[in-house]
Amino acid sequence: MKKLIKIASVALISVSFWASANSGEALLPNDEMPSYSDDKLVESMQNGMQIYMNNCMGCHSLKFQRYNRSAKDLRIPEDLMINNLMFTAEKIGDPMDNNMPTAMAEKWFGTAPPDLSLVARARGTHWLYNYFRAFYLDDSRPLGVNNSVFNNVGMPHALTQLQGLQDKSDKVKGIENDIDYAKGDIATAREELKRGGKGRELNKIIDESEHLIHEKENELVKLSQNGEYFTLIKEGELSAEEFDSAMVDLVNFLDYIGEPIKRDRKSMGIFVLLFILFFTAVAYMLKKEYWKDVH
Amino acid sequence: MSQFMQWIDARFPATKVWNEHLAQYYAPKNFNFWYFFGSLAMLVLVNQILTGIWLTMNYTPTGEGAYASVEFIMRDVEWGWLLRYMHGVGASAFFVVVYLHMFRGLIYGSFRKPRELVWIFGMIIFVILMAEGFMGYLLPWGNMSYWGAQVIINLFSAIPEYGDDIAVWIRGDFIISGATLNRFFALHVVALPMALLLMVFLHIVALHQVGSNNPDGIDIKKNKDENGIPLDGIPFHPYYTVKDIVGVGVFLFIFCWIIFFNPEMGGYFFEPPNFTPADPLKTPAHIAPVWYFTPYYSILKAVPNQGGGVIAMAGSLVIMFFLPWLDRSPVLSIRYKSPIFKVAITLFVVCFFILGYLGMKAPTEMRAIVARVCTIYYFAFFLLMPWWSQWGTTKPVPERVTH
Repeated sequence: MKKLIKIASVALISVSFWASANSGEALLPNDEMPSYSDDKLVESMQNGMQIYMNNCMGCHSLKFQRYNRSAKDLRIPEDLMINNLMFTAEKIGDPMDNNMPTAMAEKWFGTAPPDLSLVARARGTHWLYNYFRAFYLDDSRPLGVNNSVFNNVGMPHALTQLQGLQDKSDKVKGIENDIDYAKGDIATAREELKRGGKGRELNKIIDESEHLIHEKENELVKLSQNGEYFTLIKEGELSAEEFDSAMVDLVNFLDYIGEPIKRDRKSMGIFVLLFILFFTAVAYMLKKEYWKDVH
Repeated sequence: MSQFMQWIDARFPATKVWNEHLAQYYAPKNFNFWYFFGSLAMLVLVNQILTGIWLTMNYTPTGEGAYASVEFIMRDVEWGWLLRYMHGVGASAFFVVVYLHMFRGLIYGSFRKPRELVWIFGMIIFVILMAEGFMGYLLPWGNMSYWGAQVIINLFSAIPEYGDDIAVWIRGDFIISGATLNRFFALHVVALPMALLLMVFLHIVALHQVGSNNPDGIDIKKNKDENGIPLDGIPFHPYYTVKDIVGVGVFLFIFCWIIFFNPEMGGYFFEPPNFTPADPLKTPAHIAPVWYFTPYYSILKAVPNQGGGVIAMAGSLVIMFFLPWLDRSPVLSIRYKSPIFKVAITLFVVCFFILGYLGMKAPTEMRAIVARVCTIYYFAFFLLMPWWSQWGTTKPVPERVTH
């Protein structure tokens, strides 16, 4: 029996390991977001809220959350909130909604800017942190920018005033060019294969090109890790470090908005678990006492 | 007090029921770890019903209001977040304890004569539970709720001739819509819980008629003392009630750790795409059912033809109903069965886990092959059991339980 449990648990562990090893999707850039706690986290969330209300709220509502709840949880005095952070609402108990007309917004952007109350739960903080920092110059797009985390996103670079404007570095452009060529080679080879070309040679081309793409993609990852993925071509109000730190704040705020109870439930949970531990210990002693007579 | 009980007992068999099912219900004294999961399933059932009742107080079962009402519960209802997490994590916990409970039956032969009906009632509970889980999953009206239901209901279209009509009949519309949500809500909170409670009642009545099996698979009623009490039996109350409370403590520790520290369980209990509202125009990049359905979903996908896949998936459940007549081994428990059984069941567990894993993943050629191998093994395990369960040599079964 014990052996069986052992085998099952080994199987389970290896399956879960396999799962986690496979889940890493290609995200560029793919930087880790620093994590804060306690007062630093609250400050960060406050700053994040300020950034959000000034730059994002015009288009993206947070309609499931109320102003006074945010004020309470982020320790922002209500009068400060009313005077400085509420642009479209009347009362402190109102939901954090905006006046974006959905039908018009669809015309303007192609798709209506979604409500972001739960975006941190849907996308995850890691994704958001990299997404906010991944807008770059792209003249082929209607709004002049693209995003390397969310390709062909319909959103303009709303924070360009803060960040400035970045472009993919020359190295990245060169590598992406090589990848495009390799993809072209593969496509051509496949076409010719269909038309009955020499299988052996064409398959060799496909294999080699795929290998090249794989190598080049690894190079991109390395460039991103070294911070050489983008180059700034226009200065913004913030330095690169300041902007990154502002984005941490913004993501922390959205993470809070996604699940306002998160911090509280964790601190509550410790007491719940301690009680259950105590309860179980008493229950165990009771069981021992009763089972003394069972032989 | 005794006068009061006499008054009651003259009109209602309170003491009789108490004695027959608790104080003088003799259970084998050698229950081990695996015997906690029956009472834990009951605990989770009560949890689901209570939290469910309180959730319905603030939930709006309409296409326009469902998603917002869930967020209202999460933010504006006092302790609403706790109710929702207890219910959502409870759903996963239900399947965890039920799977372990079923596995216990499998290894100790608890489904064998005379407990065939206990097993069949249990299987019916399992099927109702799957329907309950499936319909409950639509209610938050997230995008995965929507598309998950879409995929599963579309399976009925595979039925020849009437398939499309049946799918429309189930949905109450040509696509998943508010009409579907409404009826799923009705079934989820009224019809299926009532059926579930009835079957749980029958499951226990049937069990108490024949008595519990045990890890040795020995009939304890064969050895009785002069009063007719099984020598290896102890009254369920107080012995197993106090023991089960310890199990409850351990279970609650894990359950609450998940609720308070990790309710999403890495996206397995609450899936990230379900935090965006249902959108009939936006299909999620990869649609996968919740983890407890994935082994069966894998079996469905393993068959290249959709109709065949539906039959295989249904068959994988139906076949388990016949288990009492498939196992022909002379002994009940894994302790005395031949090594062939141990190998067969280990492989079965491994296949089940692999199928569960593959059900969550996007299909590739390699994965399809692995899923097919595991599906074939799944069916072979049951269909060939009448033969392989008789192979090999069994160990001698002792007269009395080992304790």
